[in-house]
Amino acid sequence: MSPGAHNADADSGAARIAYLAGIRETFVLIPSYVPFGLVCGVAGVQAGLGEWGAVALAAFAFAGSSQAVLTQFLSSGAPLLVAVLSGLVVNLRMAVYSAAISPRISGASRKERLLWAAFLVDQTFISNEARRDRGEHEAHALAFYLGCATMLWPWWVLMNAIGAFAGAKLPASWQLEFTIPLSFVVMVVPLLKSRGQAAAAIAGGAAGVLLYAMPLKTGLIAACVFGTCVGMLVDAFMTSRQNRIEAAK
Amino acid sequence: MNWGGFGSVDGWLAIVGLAVGTFLIRYSFIGLLAGKRLSPRFERALQLAVPAIFAALVLPLILLQAGEFDLHARWPHIVATIIAGTYAWWRRGMFIPLLVGMVALHLLLLIADK
Repeated sequence: MSPGAHNADADSGAARIAYLAGIRETFVLIPSYVPFGLVCGVAGVQAGLGEWGAVALAAFAFAGSSQAVLTQFLSSGAPLLVAVLSGLVVNLRMAVYSAAISPRISGASRKERLLWAAFLVDQTFISNEARRDRGEHEAHALAFYLGCATMLWPWWVLMNAIGAFAGAKLPASWQLEFTIPLSFVVMVVPLLKSRGQAAAAIAGGAAGVLLYAMPLKTGLIAACVFGTCVGMLVDAFMTSRQNRIEAAK
Repeated sequence: MNWGGFGSVDGWLAIVGLAVGTFLIRYSFIGLLAGKRLSPRFERALQLAVPAIFAALVLPLILLQAGEFDLHARWPHIVATIIAGTYAWWRRGMFIPLLVGMVALHLLLLIADK
């Protein structure tokens, strides 16, 4: 066996390990998809998409809150274009994720970029941020990411399908839907390293609550911009203070 | 046996519209603007945008009951989040902090019921 072939073997082995790590990382998110997935499936049928339409929506949009908004608008008899655009506004936050991932995959091919984009949701994005923060599988980030997608995408479609075909719901007393915010907190907290980031989180969170009533979750985008600005101010303040301390030495 | 229905043509237009539009949003910076150098300032802003947007996503889900701030109804959720968040900060990992948070929530809800 040539040394080159050996390297290729080791490389595909490392890719497999990264892929399995992605599956393991997101396995615990399984419960958080159950209640919302069921609700979205039920809503799809109620909006007149038919059972298969509801499943297709989950499979091809793969974005719960926008599915909920779209079906809500369709059920209320809103014009098609209004319903679609409203759903898209809810998904604008994914442009932030897209921008955050983009500089980190500068060497990626067109095909790889399509894969990164296809499965970009809150959970896969933040799982990838957490992986990156730990410095794991740097060379096989896409394999890890696809592991996350392998766990989450079929499960999301399945939960929507059960909601659509069986009209099933979980008892509210289980509080299973609370695993959504809880999992985000658990994933984001270790990522907060600088005072700027902490300030961005506090300001963004406060604005998110105050602007919650804004239509179509546009408050989310406004809160993101506000939090980022506050974070940059704190950053600038910290830097100038640092400079003054250095200058005083 | 329910073999399922296919809904209306309008419904499928809506599905295609949301799916294609959402993909374009996801592909925006990753693909459409691929190779464009982002300014260092913009990249720094993005590092701040991530905690900001997740906090904005999460906090209403924790604090608000039917869109209203209701400390009486939500205090168990708030305390459970603090417990899970503190654990995650201290120990990392996902499964244990999540489990700790959910167990705490149910225990606190039991107390709140009394």
